[in-house]
Amino acid sequence: MSHFNHFDTLSLHAGQTVDDEFGARATPIYQTSSYVFPDTDTASSIFNLERGGHAYSRITNPTVAVLEQRIAALEGGSAAVCTSSGMAATFCAITAILGQGDHIVASSQMYGGNISLMKNTLPRFGITATFVDPTDTEAFRAAIQENTRLIYGELIGNPGLDILDLEAIAAIAKENHLPFMVDATFNTPYLCKCFDHGVNITIHSVTKWMGGHGTAIGGVIVDGGNFDWGATDKYPTITEPYAPFSGLNIWEEFGPSAFATRIRAEAMRDIGPSMSPMNAFLLLQGLETLSLRMDKHLSNTKELLEFLGSHDQVSWVSHPDLPDHSSHTLAKKYLPKGAGSIVSFGVKGGRDAGKAFIENVSLASHLANVGDAKTLIIHPATTTHSRIDAEALVAAGITEDMIRLSVGLEDVRDIKVDFENGFRAAKKLAGA
Amino acid sequence: MGFRTKQIHAGVTPDPLTGSILTPIYQTTTYVQDSVDEYLAKGFSYSRSGNPTVTALELKMTDLEDAVDSVCFGTGMAAVQSVMLAFLNAGDHAVISDVAYGGTYRLCTKILARFGVEFTFVDGSNLDEVAAAVRDNTKLFLTETPANPTMKCTDIAGVSKIAQKAGAVHAVDNTFLTPYYQRPLELDADMSIYSTTKYMDGHNATVGGAVVCATQEQADEVRFIQGSTGSIMSPQVAWLTLQGCKTMSLRLDAQSANAMAIAEYLEGHPKVEQVCYPGLKSFAQHELATQQATGFGAMLWFEVKGGLVAGKKLMDNIEVFSLAENLGSVESLITHPVTMTHAAVEEAERIRVGIIDGLVRVSVGLEDVEDLIEALGQALEQV
Repeated sequence: MSHFNHFDTLSLHAGQTVDDEFGARATPIYQTSSYVFPDTDTASSIFNLERGGHAYSRITNPTVAVLEQRIAALEGGSAAVCTSSGMAATFCAITAILGQGDHIVASSQMYGGNISLMKNTLPRFGITATFVDPTDTEAFRAAIQENTRLIYGELIGNPGLDILDLEAIAAIAKENHLPFMVDATFNTPYLCKCFDHGVNITIHSVTKWMGGHGTAIGGVIVDGGNFDWGATDKYPTITEPYAPFSGLNIWEEFGPSAFATRIRAEAMRDIGPSMSPMNAFLLLQGLETLSLRMDKHLSNTKELLEFLGSHDQVSWVSHPDLPDHSSHTLAKKYLPKGAGSIVSFGVKGGRDAGKAFIENVSLASHLANVGDAKTLIIHPATTTHSRIDAEALVAAGITEDMIRLSVGLEDVRDIKVDFENGFRAAKKLAGA
Repeated sequence: MGFRTKQIHAGVTPDPLTGSILTPIYQTTTYVQDSVDEYLAKGFSYSRSGNPTVTALELKMTDLEDAVDSVCFGTGMAAVQSVMLAFLNAGDHAVISDVAYGGTYRLCTKILARFGVEFTFVDGSNLDEVAAAVRDNTKLFLTETPANPTMKCTDIAGVSKIAQKAGAVHAVDNTFLTPYYQRPLELDADMSIYSTTKYMDGHNATVGGAVVCATQEQADEVRFIQGSTGSIMSPQVAWLTLQGCKTMSLRLDAQSANAMAIAEYLEGHPKVEQVCYPGLKSFAQHELATQQATGFGAMLWFEVKGGLVAGKKLMDNIEVFSLAENLGSVESLITHPVTMTHAAVEEAERIRVGIIDGLVRVSVGLEDVEDLIEALGQALEQV
């Protein structure tokens, strides 16, 4: 298989070896807690990480392992660890290398959960963060402190959809011997392989486009295998002997997959946010059509951008593929196929018009997720951000008329008809 | 090996590749063959004709009854239907116990009758009536004991003898008692039929069926029909059923003890006209029930004084018990057969076999028996 390595082929085959016993074409669902050892020596060597193998499904599971290897192959990474959610992935990835007194330089435009983790939760354990404007590359350099151990961002920012200049930030990270970790949920490896641009670790909420059907919650951490953990003494969890494994030196033993191994040995063992085999099976099935779905997400997005851009009731449209978007040049560089299927736009008439639009569309689902096969919309001013005043909304980059749209796979003609109904209601209100 | 060991281990061996203690869920359509010459060398080609997870459950079902082979189905009705299609041709005749589950009755009278198969419905508790129904073209006897919902018992060995003499096969729907309490093949029946939905699953999680066979030839006939008509069990269902089976005897013992306590309570209640439970001394066939089975099960029925109106009132007001079809799960369920499970049976036929208007069927679950009795008492008070 190893010489068949184009993206679509990998998304169907990577990580799976057809089982010898029955030859089942689909990956079996190993819905089991534990594994019978052939003898005590084998058991002991699996426990000590001296050999691969499965002992207990909190740590590894054969179905989850197929998903991990498949995603690692799609990203071009050295190894991957799946987790029970995207947030678990972010938490485990950060805490694998940072501890009390350490510091993160992070983009200020990120998913609210990521911001909250770094702003509220990690400080309780002595890990602090400085948030910088993702469009100001030099701001990342300026925010680096003596105790900085990580640079973190999202390639496609939330909610402004600003694109991170991966190569420029990666260069800053490299100069300072810092790993560059990117939440790549909105782009998936199909739109951008972050490791090709100097990123060292990617995180995904696989709940979104990777799984694609809104059926399973999950996350993944992908180790790029391209960071020299031993170049400084900043990362003792990777480079110093690890007591629970008889002083094992993970960096020496595992080299390019040392980071993933540390997560496996520590986070999966001691914290335990493991993905269930059933979810792994559903997500594997989703991955099989990743490129097909992404192409359709993108073509629908393109059509809707034209539709919205020329619509009387629309005051503005924002997407990095539009020439007037401030990140348009970066989008063309890093996301040549298209900059994802999240669009934001304004409905003429402000807050009430936005509300009327949402209430009068029926095909698009009103909810807070993104990346489903179905079209999703939300009006942040009356939902996720309803408890803050107009001034604070502006600071968060959210206007009262803003609709956030996650473009689905429906026939785009139906989405347009649905939106026309919303606009008609919004117009009536604006006229009244 | 004892039953409790078998219900846990039979059919399941650690996965050779990973050691996984449980059989993986082979949610796969097809199987990669090593070469044309080795086609089917590993036993599987397409999941309609066989799936490793389903096979594990079939091996367990076989072992639990010390049988030769088993075939699992998508539903209990698919199992019944496959047995009928396997052993009946146009022009053939079958003898069916007259209180067979409503779905079985519908299958015979509304569907198979269209294909020229003849049926005689007999009172299975009366061996003379069974013997008198035999014709030259009788090919199959299908009995159900205890029967749903009347609890009428059939002498399995007695019917087997009549079937053998007639050169016909005898299949027993053993869903109510399971191989843990009753073993039809040891009483010379040819096949046991199960709705695995009931006590094998036990948790209201799946719908499934099984045919457990005494000979390979009969199993092959049944499997051939399944392959041709496609009424298979899914690997997910097989996997859940494999887990349910592990506690089957524990659940049955506990649920049967609850049923006995409830039957005794109801028998002494002034608002109850009659109670029917094989464990009661008052049960007409108590001796047969004691003799051919090692337990009485967790199904019973009773009639509230005041007939249909009173029965409906009780069912609409009862707590803890759920008003629902299905039976055999850990949740206690209460059913009105006349309007629910046996609505397909014509009124005259229904009354004739003993499914009276006020009959309330109870599937006793695993709750604390004090709670169940209290709930029944409160509901009876409102009648």
